[in-house]
Amino acid sequence: MWRFLGTRIAMGAFTIWITTILVTLLIHAVPGDPVQIMYAQSQGTTPEQIEEVRRSLGLDRPIPVQYVMYMERLLQGDLGATIRGGQPVLEVILQRLPNTLLLAIAAMFIAIVIGVPIGFLAAYREGTLTDIALMIVAIAGISMPHFWLGLMLLFIFALELGWLPVSGNGWLNLVLPALTLGLSNAAIFARLTRSSMIDVMSQDYVQTAFAKGLPKALVLRRHVLRAGLLPVVTMMGLQFAFMMGGAIVVENIFSWNGVGRMAVEAIFQRDYPIIQGFILTFSVVVVCVAIGIDALYAVLDPRIRRS
Amino acid sequence: MSALTHQDGPRAAPGFLRRLLSSPSGAIGLAIVLLLIFCALFAEMLAPYNPSKMGAGGRFLPPGGKHLLGTDEFGRDMFSRILFGSRITLLIGAVAVGISLTIGMAVGMIAAFRRGWVEAILMRSTDVLFSFTETLIALSFVAVLGPSLQNAVIAVGVAGIPFYARTCYAAALVETSKPYFEASISAGAGPARLVLVHLLPNVLPTMIVVATLGVSTAILAAAGLSFLGLGAQPPTSEWGYMLAGSRDYINRAPWLMTIPGIAIAVTVLGFNLLGDGLRTSLDPVERK
Amino acid sequence: MSALLSVKDLSVSLGGKTLVDKISFDVAPGEVLSIVGESGSGKSMTAKALMGLLPPKASATGTAMFDGANLLARDTQTLRGTGIGLIFQEPMTALTPVLTIGLQLTEALESHGLCSKAEARRRAIEMLDRVGIPEPSARMHQYPHELSGGMRQRVVIAMMMLLGPRVLIADEPTTALDVTVQAQILDLLRQIVHETQIGLILITHDMGVVAEMADHVLVMKAGKAEELGPANELFASPTAAYTRELLKAVPRIDAVSAGTELDAQTLLSVRSITKTFQTRGALFKSGAGHRALDDVSLDVRRGETLALVGESGSGKTTLGRVIARLTSADAGQVLLEDTDLTGLAGRDLQARRRAVQMVFQDPYASLDPRQTVGRTIAEPMIIHDALTKAERKQRIESLLEKVGLGVDMARGYPHEFSGGQRQRIAIARAMAARPTLVIADEPTSALDVSIQARVLDLLEGLKQSEDLTMLFISHDLAVVRQIADRVAVMRNGRILELGPASALFAAPKHPYTRALIDVAPVPDPTRKRGKRPVLQGDYPAGPLKEVDAGHWVAE
Repeated sequence: MWRFLGTRIAMGAFTIWITTILVTLLIHAVPGDPVQIMYAQSQGTTPEQIEEVRRSLGLDRPIPVQYVMYMERLLQGDLGATIRGGQPVLEVILQRLPNTLLLAIAAMFIAIVIGVPIGFLAAYREGTLTDIALMIVAIAGISMPHFWLGLMLLFIFALELGWLPVSGNGWLNLVLPALTLGLSNAAIFARLTRSSMIDVMSQDYVQTAFAKGLPKALVLRRHVLRAGLLPVVTMMGLQFAFMMGGAIVVENIFSWNGVGRMAVEAIFQRDYPIIQGFILTFSVVVVCVAIGIDALYAVLDPRIRRS
Repeated sequence: MSALTHQDGPRAAPGFLRRLLSSPSGAIGLAIVLLLIFCALFAEMLAPYNPSKMGAGGRFLPPGGKHLLGTDEFGRDMFSRILFGSRITLLIGAVAVGISLTIGMAVGMIAAFRRGWVEAILMRSTDVLFSFTETLIALSFVAVLGPSLQNAVIAVGVAGIPFYARTCYAAALVETSKPYFEASISAGAGPARLVLVHLLPNVLPTMIVVATLGVSTAILAAAGLSFLGLGAQPPTSEWGYMLAGSRDYINRAPWLMTIPGIAIAVTVLGFNLLGDGLRTSLDPVERK
Repeated sequence: MSALLSVKDLSVSLGGKTLVDKISFDVAPGEVLSIVGESGSGKSMTAKALMGLLPPKASATGTAMFDGANLLARDTQTLRGTGIGLIFQEPMTALTPVLTIGLQLTEALESHGLCSKAEARRRAIEMLDRVGIPEPSARMHQYPHELSGGMRQRVVIAMMMLLGPRVLIADEPTTALDVTVQAQILDLLRQIVHETQIGLILITHDMGVVAEMADHVLVMKAGKAEELGPANELFASPTAAYTRELLKAVPRIDAVSAGTELDAQTLLSVRSITKTFQTRGALFKSGAGHRALDDVSLDVRRGETLALVGESGSGKTTLGRVIARLTSADAGQVLLEDTDLTGLAGRDLQARRRAVQMVFQDPYASLDPRQTVGRTIAEPMIIHDALTKAERKQRIESLLEKVGLGVDMARGYPHEFSGGQRQRIAIARAMAARPTLVIADEPTSALDVSIQARVLDLLEGLKQSEDLTMLFISHDLAVVRQIADRVAVMRNGRILELGPASALFAAPKHPYTRALIDVAPVPDPTRKRGKRPVLQGDYPAGPLKEVDAGHWVAE
């Protein structure tokens, strides 16, 4: 198991390292002069100021030197300063990251609590009307753009019914964005759970369990569910990454003050230090969650735990 | 090439279309997709109004009457805009998937076929990119290239490459380890023959399914970018962009929000259903 | 003695198709009834019907009286396990991977309310001990993947016997196991029947297993009962034509060896081949890999059939693949007519490959599903021979005729053909390259006996008419005896004995060879043996030494 986890952690570290390189190169991929572009929108910047920024970002040095400089600062926790306002990027991100994580975790919770039981029920009633109906709902759920679902929920529950606030950052404000993100992903979990359960139910060991005369409920709970949920657990890491991505859109709809909304604003304002910081943060979070899920998987599956 | 295949021609599994149509999801999916293609091809003829002509019959007209789906904040006919939007949407899906599919398949097949260090480098980097997630790759691309529909499509296409490469690699690995492939190696077949005659036709069914489902993902992703203002720019009749604009009139004209959303959902549903149907009907012919 | 289980007119149908058609049989206490048949005979469906485990859309009619109740007419859940137990073919998948062996052993005892938790644990350990599992109490905490296939099958047997069934159904319980392990499991089952006086229904395709185990035999074909009778009579004087055919097709290890020894020149010379497979770890290379071949040397003479025999993991397949250059060796040489195949690369290798052709085990994966049969056979000609279309067509047709298929099959796709036909197509493809050496890797293991016999005849005939040399890889000693001129016995990547087939089978010199021959089931109930010696521990595996002319044994 430690070898399995060691490999995963090494892979994760490698991914983050690659990200730091890509992030340094990012600014050079911009067509034209990045500093000019950054300041194109603000009035009255003197050429001296622009040169100053260029120096402070190290853009006048060769790229490998820039990378070393960037890494040096990064290891000290310095992600640079925002173009607009000059605040430390790390501070700006850390201020908002908890909001995004909260949203993603709440959505994940909703997705699992709704999706897994539906998938299990559909598998249990495979081929019946219940199964077909549930799967129609699921495929419709997958097909629905979540930004549209978000708008509809906003329209119905906030504007028409007035049950929930339109925007803000309180607990009640979390409900709609989390539902928006959670419901689309619940459909994915439902489909995955169903196919995994159906697969397990056709296995010899389930037949063997029945041949021992175990009641159906026990066979399902003990033999089918445990083995059938393993692929679902594996999927959770990937799903969390999708949720982080989806959060970018959802935060914008509900004006949720997270890193996704910050990133989109930064793209409009060409605030590259924030964009760089965002990409790095995103990959660190995704990698950490993936390692966490792998660890969970390793504990749940004896074939890995005891190897 | 050979005398024998020449007479036969490439032949799909027998009854493929019949099986596709006999599965409800395949039949419905195909119908939706064909309808969309029809709309996209004949938008000029089908549309009652010019989609960008403003103020023809008044602003914010609700659906019904002379304007089937109402008019928007500039008095443009929604039905016509949706029709023209289907053209853009299908184009987005096709181009983005085209980018992902060609590069992804090339990477996947080369990795599975060459093995060794080529495989290691290609697949490790694919793994790294895959863990970035498509959204982040697409967003980074737009951040660099700047917001425009064209850039959004490229971004979505590039973002999809890791997934296609992985899927194709996995499928190709299965094929290259099968005895028929080894028999061909034993017969003295060179790399070109092995890849083009044996590998490609055998991974293609899997990739067709993936690509069909991938059109859905690409359309959703591109519409998402446009919704954020990072894709299509005014006055394009792109559905995601139309949806973004509707936010300001959510109380006054809710149909501005409902209609493009339904259009996207139905399109995506169509490709999802078609992909599901294809998967079952293209499933290996020989199940013991 | 009155019957434990009495089946009358059992029929199973699925979607309008009759899979089992009115079969009847009785099972008495302490008796082994063997249901034998080829694939599609309905033998497994019969077992599932009795257990009440048919797929949802299948239905069963008739009566199966057990303990005064008709199994087909009631919910059998409470009788499953306690009344009738079932053992599946594949021990690797018969145990739930995520649960401990202890839990899987005891859960049914508790669920049926047979005893307390502590008592269940005690009984489980005792039963593990009885089925011959060492350190039983330590096993309780282990997971299935930590045990070998044979051990897992013992656990499954223990799991079923714990519930005290009076009838046990075993569906091909040893088919997935090596012969030596098979012998142990069969011994165990026989001992259980003897001691507990249960009735055993043994479902198998293997006439050898039937002869060793059965008191009564039911022969099935296409859902119908062909013949039912006591084993001795059935083997001595079969009444049904199908039974006779089946018995005739079974290769026998006690047959007179067909092999003749040729005093010809060497065609292929394998010199000190070593191959180690790295166990895959993404970043951390594990120290030692699995050594598949360990300094193997071997000569194949022109025109002979040399058989490589061994159990799983012996390295026989790897050796075949190294010779065919489908796997590269770590060290050593493969000399074919004085060309070192291991030294070739690129186009030189491609051109030379035609000399060595393979026939693989799995007829379903052997042919490219997207190519017509004609195109598959044409491939070697397209690559190597400059033929006109007409010439090629003519050659394809003559090859199809040679392997006993119709010329019109060239236009068909592989999925239109049966397993036996596909294997013939694969043989035709190999012949199309006009090879000097054919490597047949378990070419008949996936086929039914009657088809196996015909494919073996075909290979034998082609060898004569086309002047071929053949390397025949197999786990089945009976098949080898029928086809081989010389035999090499392999174990753990080493050759332990090499000699003329007649001498090797008549007087095996190596203890492992002796053991292999001893445990192989023979389709003759009069040769029923007692408990066989346990096959364990190390065998001499040193360098080969010539003990007789052309007969080499490891020291």
